Amino acid sequence: MNKKSRFGSLYASIFGAIVLAFGIVELVVIGTTGMEGVYWGPLEMSGMWLWWTGIIFVSAGIMYLSSATNFMDIRQLAKSVVASIMIWIVAGMAIFDKVASSIPGEETWVNSPGDFLAGCGPPYTPAIYLLPLSLAIIYFIRQRRRAF
Amino acid sequence: MFFGTFAGFFTDGFFAKIFDVHYLPWIQSVFPGKGTWLYFILVGDPAAETCFESFGVLTSGLFLPIGVVLPAIIAFYLVLSFLEDVGYLPRLAVLIDGLLHRIGLHGYAIVPTILSLGCNVPGCIACRPLETRKQRFMMMALLGVFIPCAAQIGMMQALIPEMIGFVFLGLVIGYFSVGFILNKIWPGESPEILMDIPPYQRATWGNIWRKMWSRTSHFARIAVPFFLLGCVIITVLYLTGGMDWLGNALSPAFGAFGLPQETAAPLVAGFLRKDLAIGLLGGIELTGWQMFTSVVLLSIYFPCLATFSLMIKELNRKEIAATLGILFTTVFIYGGVLRLIGMGLGVA
Repeated sequence: MNKKSRFGSLYASIFGAIVLAFGIVELVVIGTTGMEGVYWGPLEMSGMWLWWTGIIFVSAGIMYLSSATNFMDIRQLAKSVVASIMIWIVAGMAIFDKVASSIPGEETWVNSPGDFLAGCGPPYTPAIYLLPLSLAIIYFIRQRRRAF
Repeated sequence: MFFGTFAGFFTDGFFAKIFDVHYLPWIQSVFPGKGTWLYFILVGDPAAETCFESFGVLTSGLFLPIGVVLPAIIAFYLVLSFLEDVGYLPRLAVLIDGLLHRIGLHGYAIVPTILSLGCNVPGCIACRPLETRKQRFMMMALLGVFIPCAAQIGMMQALIPEMIGFVFLGLVIGYFSVGFILNKIWPGESPEILMDIPPYQRATWGNIWRKMWSRTSHFARIAVPFFLLGCVIITVLYLTGGMDWLGNALSPAFGAFGLPQETAAPLVAGFLRKDLAIGLLGGIELTGWQMFTSVVLLSIYFPCLATFSLMIKELNRKEIAATLGILFTTVFIYGGVLRLIGMGLGVA
């Protein structure tokens, strides 16, 4: 269990710092460029929800970091679970937005499958990149269940 | 985010195309008697290029409730029904209890507040379980003034998506400030109540669907006739010159807030439906700041007719008079403050 806790602490520290950094960058971007935002290759930070997602990432990052010590303790793990759920909600909305905005066509009612797939392609918001990494929390929940 | 995406998918992706590209040109061409009163009332302005601008019963009167408001209503009730079904609302009531106690309410008051974000009418009905007359009055006054319904939010989303966060910020500040003041000056008690917290349960789609259907059909029954009536009244006022008279009569107030006389039409429509009123703003040429100010003032200036009728039934004369006093005072304070902020920013 101690080994798992150390691994969990490492995960929460590194991932928490990344999430916190993304949150701070989003807030800086919306504060400096407004809703126009910025595009860095496959990464997009733009739109009217940047304030909201920035605040959520900062909060989630702080929650991950604060759960880093004694990670497998139920109260500590709970903080990381809540932080992960926050990321899942934001990422779920980003995926839904991507899919929904790719369905209607410009000239036609519905886009062709090719245009739909092109519409679903990058650039993506940070939440979509953070989503797979945040799923690691499920592994820790299962480990804790097995241990107790 | 879900709300905007869901509503935007249907409104911008499909309904705007159906109504503006296909339906409007068709009805403008086939409806007889172009230039007559009947044409203006039923089809609206013959030169209009979008259903937002035409103001006719068969154009704006159908597009606004079906094309703009209905997707927003469905999105809101879908989420609300899900949260109710899993048992989240009583937990939210406990979480927010401490904050609401500072304004003389208790955590349960979050239930009518959230219901009002769908429609103010069930929100007002949900005030009945509140313990004291003071709490019921306070809650209804705050709902009527500061809580926009889903239909209004849908309209705001369509008109000023980039400013909607600031509109909500202003309304939340007003909700707590006025609540705090009312709690200090209005006589009465604000006792505690005990609430059961049910365990979390898995949501069932059948329940969610039934709740969503019942609430959405209730909206359609209440709102659509008011939309149609509103379009008739607005068109008749334009045709008879009544709108010019109203605009002139109200121009000192509009001038003080930095708004043009044309905003008289939405103000009149706001007595029937506030979402219709906000929709009508889309057909008027306003600067970004004027649009923002108009939306904020329309959101707080008067509850819609259905809500006001229910308030008359639930509150006594003194409380109704106090609610109206709060409404007009708030409108003047907000209008003045927004004008000053706009002047400070160089946009008003």
